[in-house]
Amino acid sequence: MSSQSSLDVIRLAGELDIARRDEIRRALQPNDAGGPILVDLSEVTYADSTVIAGLLRLRNDADAAQRRIALLIGDARLTRLLQYAGLAHAFTVFDDRASALTYLAGSPEQ
Amino acid sequence: MTGRSELRVNRTTADESTPSQLRHTVEAFLNAIDIEPALRDDIIIAVGEAIANAVEHAYERQEPGRVELHVTTDEDNTLLVDVYDRGAFIDRELREGRGLGLRIVRAIARAVSIDTEGGTRIRMVFDAGTPSAHDGSVAP
Repeated sequence: MSSQSSLDVIRLAGELDIARRDEIRRALQPNDAGGPILVDLSEVTYADSTVIAGLLRLRNDADAAQRRIALLIGDARLTRLLQYAGLAHAFTVFDDRASALTYLAGSPEQ
Repeated sequence: MTGRSELRVNRTTADESTPSQLRHTVEAFLNAIDIEPALRDDIIIAVGEAIANAVEHAYERQEPGRVELHVTTDEDNTLLVDVYDRGAFIDRELREGRGLGLRIVRAIARAVSIDTEGGTRIRMVFDAGTPSAHDGSVAP
């Protein structure tokens, strides 16, 4: 399952709030390839709970399909947002792409 | 941060662009009163959630809603933020994401109160004169 070609990369950038709610909802959906999912938020400059809700939905879909999912976060504010939402341990978070890809290349956790 | 400062913003036709506009207004205000950057960013997160809550509720009535923002600081380094709208509070926490938003607000602010008399006012109190008291160990 771990071939790089099947990697599903979801990328969001800029300020993410209710003004982009529909775009966020559409983006945070897994493709049908069945591979691991990398959510690249490294260029996000602001996010609110709209994003957290979408990430939770995506994680649940990934878990149900036994697909690994990792978040790539470059801004400490987004990490703290997850903490404040009580969800710091709900996601596997990386601050560098190489580590995230190494994690995603591993076997899915049961 | 020293002394007393105040910011008042009133949007009579708040829409989905209002949270971003008001966040940047609050950011400029917090920069002007020289709040520590990490604390500033946390306050902006909390205020952004409260404003989004108010705007989303206004949207539910399919007409532009009023949103008011009032920020004050006082001599003992307390920062008080009120976000006010004219809607009822009922069912807000049931909407996707907004229950999370209020959880985030409560995790950041020292105190939060919600007054639903004649509208909805979310009042947030922050300790503004010291580095952020939050170490990230927030209970779920």
